[in-house]
Amino acid sequence: MSKPQANQNSLKPGKWIRSTCKMCLHSCSTRVHVTDDGVINKIEGDPTNPSNAGKLCPKGNAGIMRHYDPQRFKQPLRRTNPEKGPGIDPKWEPISWEEAFAITAREIKKSLDRDPRLILPSLEDFQKMHIWFWPLAIGNHNFYQSGGTMCGGAYHPLNGYIHSAFGAVNDAKYCNYWISNGAGDGFSSHLHAAAQSHWVAKARIERGMKVVTVEPRMSIAAAKAEEWIPIRPASDRHFAMSLSHVLVYEGLCDYAFLRKDTNAPYLVGPDQLFVRDADGQIYVWDTADNRAKPWNDPTLKNENLALEGEYEVNGVKCRPAFQVYKDTLKEAAPEIIEKITTVPAATVRRIAREFAREARIGDTITLADGRTVPFRPAAYNYYRGAQGRKTGMMTNQAFQLVNMLIGNIDHPGGRCGVTITDGSIDNNHCLPGECGQMLGTPHQLGHMPPFSWPPNEYHLAGFFPVGVNGPHLNMLSYLEPEKYGSTYKPDVLVNCHSNPVWAIQGPRDKWLQFLREMRFIVCVDVIPTEMTDFADIILPASDYLETWNGVMIEPPYTEGICFRQPITPPIHDTKSEEEIFFELSERLGVLDQYNEVINMILGFEQKPHLKLEPGKKYSDRDIAERVGLLWNDKPIEWYMEHGHSSTERRLDKWYRPWEGMRLLFYIEDLVVQRETLRKQFEEAKVPFRDEWPFDDYQPLPTTVLDPIHLEPAEYNLYAITFKDIQMNFGESLSNPWIKDITYRDPVHTGLLLNRGTAQKLGFTDGDIVLVESPYGKLYGRLTTTEAMHHETLGVSNSLSRTKSENRSVLMAGGHYNDLLPYDMRNTDGATGQPETSCRVKLTKLDDWPDFLKHGQTVYDLVDSIRNAKGKGGTH
Amino acid sequence: MTQTNPRLVGNSFKLGYRFQRYWDTSMALAFFFAEAGAGLFLVSFHFDFLPGMIAGLAVAGTLKPYFHLAHMGVPNKSWRAILRPDRSWVSRGAIAIGVMVGFGVLYVVDLGFGLASRLGLPAGAGELAGWLAVAGALTVMCYQGMAMSDSESFTLWASTLLPASSFLYALTAGSLIALAAGWEILGERRAALADLALLLLLLDFVVVAGILVRAARKSKGGAFSVELLTRGEYAGTFIGLVFVVGLALPAAILFASATQAAALAATATMLAGFLAFRLLLFKAAVFEPIMHDLAGSLGLPSAR
Amino acid sequence: MAKMGMVFDLKACIGCNACVVACKQENSLPDGVFFTRTLSHEHGTYPNVKRVYIPTICNQCEDAPCEKVCPSGATYTRADGIVMVDKDKCIGCSSCAVACPYDMRTMLDKELFTKGLFGTGELTPFEQQGYGRYSPGTAVKCDFCSERVDAGLQPACVATCPTNARIFGDIDDPNSAPSVLIRERNGRQPLPEKNTRPKVWYVD
Repeated sequence: MSKPQANQNSLKPGKWIRSTCKMCLHSCSTRVHVTDDGVINKIEGDPTNPSNAGKLCPKGNAGIMRHYDPQRFKQPLRRTNPEKGPGIDPKWEPISWEEAFAITAREIKKSLDRDPRLILPSLEDFQKMHIWFWPLAIGNHNFYQSGGTMCGGAYHPLNGYIHSAFGAVNDAKYCNYWISNGAGDGFSSHLHAAAQSHWVAKARIERGMKVVTVEPRMSIAAAKAEEWIPIRPASDRHFAMSLSHVLVYEGLCDYAFLRKDTNAPYLVGPDQLFVRDADGQIYVWDTADNRAKPWNDPTLKNENLALEGEYEVNGVKCRPAFQVYKDTLKEAAPEIIEKITTVPAATVRRIAREFAREARIGDTITLADGRTVPFRPAAYNYYRGAQGRKTGMMTNQAFQLVNMLIGNIDHPGGRCGVTITDGSIDNNHCLPGECGQMLGTPHQLGHMPPFSWPPNEYHLAGFFPVGVNGPHLNMLSYLEPEKYGSTYKPDVLVNCHSNPVWAIQGPRDKWLQFLREMRFIVCVDVIPTEMTDFADIILPASDYLETWNGVMIEPPYTEGICFRQPITPPIHDTKSEEEIFFELSERLGVLDQYNEVINMILGFEQKPHLKLEPGKKYSDRDIAERVGLLWNDKPIEWYMEHGHSSTERRLDKWYRPWEGMRLLFYIEDLVVQRETLRKQFEEAKVPFRDEWPFDDYQPLPTTVLDPIHLEPAEYNLYAITFKDIQMNFGESLSNPWIKDITYRDPVHTGLLLNRGTAQKLGFTDGDIVLVESPYGKLYGRLTTTEAMHHETLGVSNSLSRTKSENRSVLMAGGHYNDLLPYDMRNTDGATGQPETSCRVKLTKLDDWPDFLKHGQTVYDLVDSIRNAKGKGGTH
Repeated sequence: MTQTNPRLVGNSFKLGYRFQRYWDTSMALAFFFAEAGAGLFLVSFHFDFLPGMIAGLAVAGTLKPYFHLAHMGVPNKSWRAILRPDRSWVSRGAIAIGVMVGFGVLYVVDLGFGLASRLGLPAGAGELAGWLAVAGALTVMCYQGMAMSDSESFTLWASTLLPASSFLYALTAGSLIALAAGWEILGERRAALADLALLLLLLDFVVVAGILVRAARKSKGGAFSVELLTRGEYAGTFIGLVFVVGLALPAAILFASATQAAALAATATMLAGFLAFRLLLFKAAVFEPIMHDLAGSLGLPSAR
Repeated sequence: MAKMGMVFDLKACIGCNACVVACKQENSLPDGVFFTRTLSHEHGTYPNVKRVYIPTICNQCEDAPCEKVCPSGATYTRADGIVMVDKDKCIGCSSCAVACPYDMRTMLDKELFTKGLFGTGELTPFEQQGYGRYSPGTAVKCDFCSERVDAGLQPACVATCPTNARIFGDIDDPNSAPSVLIRERNGRQPLPEKNTRPKVWYVD
């Protein structure tokens, strides 16, 4: 099809190679065109992958500009300027790989030999879990990267409890009523943005699926919704509970499902634990015999299990779990909650009724595998924006309970668990737990380290038995080492594709100081970032168009391996992450340990012939080959031809993978974990044991207020941050194509303030303002709009870049993250999830502060676009 | 960091009025000199005012091409502009300017040196060249307005009043320059020419006002352009320069005083207003938001 | 003969601009040059607000004003209705740019080809292999990826659109996907009062 004289890139003489995108952490399948001269000139979606079906998001379309970025690190570099800071030229000096490895290994080893905990890892490559978990090879559990709580700190553990899966998705193949709460799923982000938005658009267009979006800012999801419901930030749990109130008190639940497939009938005692018999079997109440029986009593019929009522069993007062929640929900009547959420009670009641009606409780569907299962084409979707709460675990559970009440969990059209990876094609992810329940698996990325006092982990991970690594908590140990029992301070930072100094919330000046005090920092990366400005050594990584990989990473509706292969050899003197970390491991004397870690993390143990052998270093190709073989025994040549082994999720693993087990309506484990931890705190006499937020562990959510609502009243507005699809996940704005579309989009070019509110407070469009929270500040220029909640300031992520050596990235006026707290008052005790919105006040300024008057800022670019000087091109 | 009217969206991805930014100052100057030059030639031809004819041809034949070439993206291929007179007013205009300047020069040379008789051409040949040059000049005086009103692109421009304004402004400029420069030579014909200039200034005003009224009524984009000119960004310049300095002031001067100095002053102010008119008509033209007629179920504002 | 046209499904479009970037890739567009854009527009009063995303592209008009005003003959219409610009004939007078009511023409500033996409004054290998098709100073516009159309492919923006908001095909064929959509969902053309007879429709 190619023509020698073609003007269009896809038709020039060359070849197409199937591969996988890595412009965000997900893995849409691509076909990449490389010319006969070896230039990559077109990336398209691969239509053979049933996930993204030939589609790519704007970032996926912009990969070439990452590949040919002139600022890419082209060879190993050593810093010659001892002064470190944002935008301070490190004065790089090119060195050989041998020298770079020698220095890096020597410097790491100096600390490693003293105490492995002195190493602070920041390894963010989410498509390469074997790099992410490298620290295990040196016995280190520290963590300083944004992929923990900055992602879905509470979302993932709670999904582990509900679905035994990492992610969860509304089943767009059948769903007809989609509530979207603080999420971009299906519209702008998360779970393979191009793939999800494709299937969701099909549902909207072809089936007329209704979308109701609940969020403070009118996002893309809200723009496409039939209804946008503006809500006060950090009140999403209350909204969900008010919906549940209506479902429960108006009798709109799927009671058959709750009785048969969940632990909602299990009897709960006053200690929040289930009431058990001498054998440890949990009691339920049999309404037929009007007495308690162990859950597995053969005379029990599901339809006779009590969901409501108050009983006494063996002298213990108890209620079915469902009744416990029903009692809690008394406080969540829409009319009460309206004051917290600002959502009118009538709206909540209407939405709840519509939701229940569309759920078609009682309907079933017969699947292609012959099973007849409940058909529940309504689902509540939520993610990043709604889940980032101080009460994260409760908040996430409140959302999932809306789903569970209508019986849509893992049912067609409902809320389905999405595994991050199945490893091997036949692996199921659900295991039986205690007393007929499904085993809750909150540790979707591996177990947290055990409790220790003084803490072994600088970020206190041992205090979060069911949580996720909270990188912001490093700041606690750094600022208050005595209080938090720090016995050491990390002095070597090992960094790979991670930009913690930009991505993690908390006081910027302190974080910068934290980095300056590091004895040695090595960065493995492709382009300069805020973080690499602090590196002592740069180990330049090859990019995703030059390397091998195999990955399954939470594709929403498919399973299988997406395969990456080099389109060209590395165009600079760079190496794959595998080459770098195997080499470092060998030099540090931990190669055998590392190989064992990989065997565990990637699951090679399941097929012993795939296991990495001690003493051997492997290439990225070797690893990719094994990942493919583990999945379906296909050789690498098969993958090179096909590019992926992606198929629709197998029905038995997709719908009701927990068949025969009861889902966790009531998460007793959270009570058990809380009490265990409390005991550990007591026994170790942890000095702050009385102020530790144990109350964040609840088996069912409560209506407690998040502390953000209790900030001083002078902070009269809320602030949120957001991205859209063009900035989904990792670094985007150094890419000229992404920049070219982002800074033309009106929502990304100014701080968004509700027009009526602006008027009331005396602000107008274009005002330069100082934004102050109790924790930090930023500068910006207002854009007034009708599409923001009336108490909320919206700060696009595009306005949060700070000064760095990457000259393509334009700074704006500070960083939204600087406005956020990092303390335990604002951190979920159960998961480590910090609050991600904040309270702010605005002050109008006459002019920009001095530091923004030198050099081009985002606002200069925006103005040049808006003023459109020149006949064409540029702006 | 200046802010412009929020309804003007520049090259951002926002629905709204987008600037006309393709024809700018050099194009305005080219239009200005072509019209002033052709007008001067025409008036001077009528009054047999040879220096005026020469000056008109010189201005139209040098400054106009110069500023056109400065505007062109590919100046060395500009000759191609004459290839489509069947449909393009730019082609027709390019040919007309050639006709005007070519035959005008022949006519002037003939007047001065009796070129036709020296070459043994029939007696009327020189005269014929003159009338051909006049035809060219008349075309030049109109075609730029025709080129602007040829497409419906900008409501401000899409009006038959545009060629009328081109013609009238050209004629006004020509009359005033001829009056001021030929004060001595014209003798008693001064009064007639001054009266003509006064009448033309009045007509210019009527046509410019007509352009505004029609544009404001025809579409929201047109109304927006008019708003820019009369109340918005360009109001000061437009009202001050085009109406006051360019039309009212020269009229008042001519009315008040019949001296060469007054004629010179009137000419200078009128030309300043004329140039401002040319520039602002470019600047105030806006592309309409494309969604006007998709309003319907989207609940968007409609164009009319 | 086929007449190629496009329908934009405003209900489907999420304003992601993947189309815009796909176009930049396919056509090696210099910085700030767009053959297609997705505009956004908010209307209504809080809390009853709507935002629409409106893709725009050259409408390949049947009565193309850009073609009519072109003095050099550079603009012409192919047999399948796609309006083309011959870069070797274009003189850069920008008459077409002012004649197009949709602002869908761009004049290529000369600096674009020296400044480069990264603004460093150096061109990436991608740019080096791509800019040969352009002649600085001339007018450019979308041609529905005419070479891809000739090869039986969809335009790049259509192929990549995650939500199938762009539907491309032969509008002379009453059974083609765009024809069916225009008929069944009341397709409307942009700015019909400009009398250009666009071959692009919007449905909502």
